[in-house]
Order: sequence, then structure tokens, then C-alpha cells
Amino acid sequence: MNERELDLQLIQRIQNGEQQAFALLVRKYQTRVANILTRYVRSSGDIPDVSQEVFIKVYKSLPNFRGDSAFYTWLFRITVNTAKNYLTSQSRRPPASDIDAEEADSYDGSGALKDDANPEAILHSQEIKQVILKVIGDLPDELKSAITLRELEGMSYDEIAQIENCPIGTVRSRIFRAREAIDKQLKPLLEN
Amino acid sequence: MKEYSQDLSSLIDNELGDKEVINTVLEDAALQKQFSRYQLIGDVLRDESNVLDLRMDVTDSVMAAIANEKQDNYVAPLSAAPEPEKSNVVPFMKRFGQYAIAASVAGVVVVSSLMVNQGSATDPSVAPVLNTVPFGGAAAPVSLQATPLQTKSDIKERNERVEALLKDHQLQLQTQP
Repeated sequence: MNERELDLQLIQRIQNGEQQAFALLVRKYQTRVANILTRYVRSSGDIPDVSQEVFIKVYKSLPNFRGDSAFYTWLFRITVNTAKNYLTSQSRRPPASDIDAEEADSYDGSGALKDDANPEAILHSQEIKQVILKVIGDLPDELKSAITLRELEGMSYDEIAQIENCPIGTVRSRIFRAREAIDKQLKPLLEN
Repeated sequence: MKEYSQDLSSLIDNELGDKEVINTVLEDAALQKQFSRYQLIGDVLRDESNVLDLRMDVTDSVMAAIANEKQDNYVAPLSAAPEPEKSNVVPFMKRFGQYAIAASVAGVVVVSSLMVNQGSATDPSVAPVLNTVPFGGAAAPVSLQATPLQTKSDIKERNERVEALLKDHQLQLQTQP
């Protein structure tokens, strides 16, 4: 199963009336949506509101989603259109150059965002990043390698198993143990 | 929960499409939050979280907004909709029709009576039921100024009848207790 198939499965559930499946899609994509919005929205304080608007539009439009394109590509278009409408409503002009779905994930929005975010939020976010990177750095090599190949290189379990010369079940377990170790440190930071 | 945590990790990596696991995640709020944290780990490693408040989570507000919109847009099913009240106002066409029928009946009566009267004046063999002339020979006009056509014998007869009625009345008064 690839990402597209899982998304389609969730979308079918939503279309069949299982509203809670949409919560999982929001959890999955909200950081990526917010990252795209930093390209357009100058005040970081507005990003949660515009993100919410994006997902409400997505929910309303889901009955028309046929799955011809990947869900993320479709979500990306709605995000950009919502951001442009937001700028128009704020009497600002959208940026002259657009970004596409492929480069959006790695887009560094810090240049466009005239950051008036509160310093506490920035410090907190930096702390979260440092904790995640530190825990990964402290992991045993086999766990570090497994999580890095999966998250950074986007490899499947099968590909990692071939590189690491171990069964797929072992890869599955190593990646989970790496996440579990990070989560143990991450959870208290997010809950406070 | 730990047994599902490994499945959750595989689900995020698109290595598991088990409906059972998805059902479990959808029903378990703690697993959903864990799903968010696992997702965040990947986003941070891929550097997809620039200049963001990483504590931001719009899931609850989005779901609440959707639930509110659903309530606002709720339309009662047709079977439960009340029947429209019957209006007491008679429709214009219905009333107009009643007047039209009444007017035509009246017209027919007037025209036919005129024709019958004309016929009786000229034709003595007309049926007696249609003859509206009194048996006395002439109809007396009904008016205060009209002078009655009475003879002395008529007046005498009328006075005798009145006297007889008065006597009868007095007798009845005497017999009552």
C-alpha cells in the first residue's frame, strides 16, 4: 500500500459518512498545509485560522474528489487558492511567483513570513526540534539507520530490509522502537 | 495500546492497510494523538515545519466547525414535515365561478319569465300554472296610494266576520279558568 491508497481508503470512509476519518487526514497533513501557508500568510498568528479554512473547504469538496490525482496534489491546490483569497481579503497582492506541490514540502517559508509570532512559540518549536534530533542521535545505529532511511529517503520496508540485510519484520520493529523512543520525550513537550 | 502502536507506525509508513487497525485508530483518541506525534517526527526530520508553532493542532477546531455546519444545514426529512395549513380564503377563480353561475341562472329566469308573460297576454291557451293573473280578473297594485276596489257588501261581510271573531274570543276568555 502506498500513501495514495491509504488516503483513498480514508476518503472513501468519509464519503460513506465516517466523519472521524477526516480527523486522521487533518492530523496527517496539517503541518504540510501550514508550511505551504507560510509562503503566503505574513502573520504566523493567522496560520491556524487559514489552515482551518483550508480543511473545511477540503471537507466540503470531498464529495467531488474522484481520485484522478493524488489527494495531496488536490489539497495543495485548495491550500494555495485559500491563501490567495485570504491575501485578497486582507487587501494584499498574492506573490508574483507560485510554488508547486513538489517543491512545497521543502519550501523554506521564513522569507515570506514577516514573523510576528510570539517568541515563546518559536522557542518552544526549536526545543521540540532539538529534542527530536537529539533522541535520534542517541539511538542505537540500527534504529537510527532504519528511521533515517524511512523518513529522509522515503524507502519502503522492503528496500530498507535489503539494505540492512534483515527481515521486513525487523525493519518494522526497529522503526517503531525509534519512534517510541522519540515520542517518550516529545509527548510531555506537546502536552505542556 | 502498545500492540496497536507498532501497527500505527506501519500505517503511517503506508505499510499496513488493515481496516481493523484503521477502525481501532479512529475509535481511540490516544492513538490519534500518537498518530499526530509520529507524523510530526517525520515532518521535523524532513524539515517540513519551518517557522511554525509546532504545538499547532487544528484537528479539534476543524472537526467542531464541520459538526456545527452540519447542524446548521440540517433539513428535516420530508416525511416529518408538517402539512401546509388549509387556507380559509376562497380562491378567486372559485368565487368568480360561483358568481358567474348565479348570474346566468338569474338571467335565464328573467328572460324566460318575460317570454312567458308575453305569451300569456296574447295566447289564452297557455297552461294555468304559468298564468300569474289573479282569479279575480285583475291584480291590485301594492301601494299605499292605491285605492282599494271594495263594494258595500264586501265591507259588510268583513265587519260581520270581525264581529264573529270578537264574540268567539270573548267566549274563549270566559271559559278559561
